[in-house]
Amino acid sequence: MTCAEFQRVLPDGIDEGWSAQQKSHLGSCSACSSLVEDLNAISREARLLRACAEPSPRVWDSIADSIQEIESELDLVAAEARALQASEEPSPRVWNAIASAIQEMDSELELIASEARALQASDDPSVRVWNSLEIALRKEGLIRQPRSEHSVIPFMKRWRWAWMVPVTAAVLIAVGFLNRTQPSVRIADVTPPKPPAAVQPLSSPEDQQVLEAVSRRAPALRATYEDNLRSVNAYIQDAEESVKSNPNDEQAEQYLMDAYEQRAMVYEMALDRALP
Amino acid sequence: MQRGTQVYAGAALFALLVTASLVRAETKKEFRFTVGPRPSLSVINQYGPISAKPSAGNEIIVVAVLKSDKVEVDQSKNGNRIDLVSHLLPGASIDNARVEYQITAPPGTNLTLHTTTGDIQVEKMHGDLAIEGASANVDVRDVANCHVHVNTLNGPIMLTNVTDGHVELTSVSGNITLRKVDGPLVRVNSSSGSIRYDGDFAFGGEYSLTSHTGDIEATAPSYASIDVTARSVKGQVDNEFPLQPKTHSAFSMDTVRNLVGTAGKAASSVKLLSFSGKIHLKKR
Repeated sequence: MTCAEFQRVLPDGIDEGWSAQQKSHLGSCSACSSLVEDLNAISREARLLRACAEPSPRVWDSIADSIQEIESELDLVAAEARALQASEEPSPRVWNAIASAIQEMDSELELIASEARALQASDDPSVRVWNSLEIALRKEGLIRQPRSEHSVIPFMKRWRWAWMVPVTAAVLIAVGFLNRTQPSVRIADVTPPKPPAAVQPLSSPEDQQVLEAVSRRAPALRATYEDNLRSVNAYIQDAEESVKSNPNDEQAEQYLMDAYEQRAMVYEMALDRALP
Repeated sequence: MQRGTQVYAGAALFALLVTASLVRAETKKEFRFTVGPRPSLSVINQYGPISAKPSAGNEIIVVAVLKSDKVEVDQSKNGNRIDLVSHLLPGASIDNARVEYQITAPPGTNLTLHTTTGDIQVEKMHGDLAIEGASANVDVRDVANCHVHVNTLNGPIMLTNVTDGHVELTSVSGNITLRKVDGPLVRVNSSSGSIRYDGDFAFGGEYSLTSHTGDIEATAPSYASIDVTARSVKGQVDNEFPLQPKTHSAFSMDTVRNLVGTAGKAASSVKLLSFSGKIHLKKR
């Protein structure tokens, strides 16, 4: 018997025992005999391992108990759900409570709306109010008259050179005349920006509020803010359309964020303390 | 006849005195503050320019030239933080409430400068800069290792020689120009103003130039190490820079409106994005 022939019948031999011919080959072939020894050892270890891995009956009982507990909870939930499904509408008491809450909210909203309308309709406080505020602030020392001691040219020193006044005045009149021909403050002394594609009215109430605030505080800048808000709104509109048509486009989202950032900046600049 | 001459002389003298009193209204004030390391100075002006330069020592000096007595300067100092505010008084207007501020401060001073109109100039400072001006011309040059944040409406912004900066510029319609500006973050956002960048895109940074309708022009040397994404949704993208094509891109490869590619080791990310403006990438 050759080794190949022996190895073909090896599984049967391990399970059912060896024939005389196979025993003879095992006795003469050390390779096949060591293979059979290894296989027997593995088989023994596997049986031991299986015995170790098998949970004890206590574990199985515990798992069964847990499953039963979960099943009973599920049954309870199902019963509750069926009862809820079968039940009619909430009691009139519940409806009444909801209705009164809604009414309360409604009246609060009406109050807020009327306050807002009154606030919108109101003008600036009267002159009397401003005057009393100013008096109070002066008393507090928060408003001060310009102090002459801060001036670099002291009063007395200036009059010691009084003869220079007419000369200086004449020179200054000339300089003033020349200056008058040029704008004293350079507003938008820049390359004119490209106009927006289409001039659209600023319909947003927020924009209107911002422009009203600018008009009150710095009327000369209203046109600048209006132009720039229009430009920013066009930016936002294009960016929003771009995001709608390309919802998964990262760049389109970036455009939109940048556009919103611009509007936030304009609002902030219009309303922060940089304006008078 | 002699009486007539006297009347004329009196009238002339009166006119001169009135003029002299107007002249007197323009005053110059000097504020001095001794400060510690890394002080912060905030100047909030309504009308008029602000300039800032470095000084030796540990003193901040601010010279304010007030156009009239319709405006005054309020000052406060809390520790290392100094605030100066142009305070408009009743009767103030854009013509008579102008204040010109000239700042000399230690180079590491953090500056917050606001003006509605007038120029803002900062040079050779190393502290963080937060600048805001609606119609202000903003000019920042020779600064390093700092944050430079500028916001304007239609005021142009120019940055020159800014090294290792964290730069964020936003303008609605002002033109924005950057020359030799680099750093870990350079972010420019404009609506209708143009954006021009001429520099190395160095520092392995993130460079993002975005506009709505304004054109974007970026010029870099041939040795620049960049990873470029350029895209104009409705405009055109022109490229004169030798770029290696990228095989994978997040958007469609319409070469008229899109450009992706790398040069060198692609150390810096460069994003040039416009909605309808023209994008032009050039080699210096």
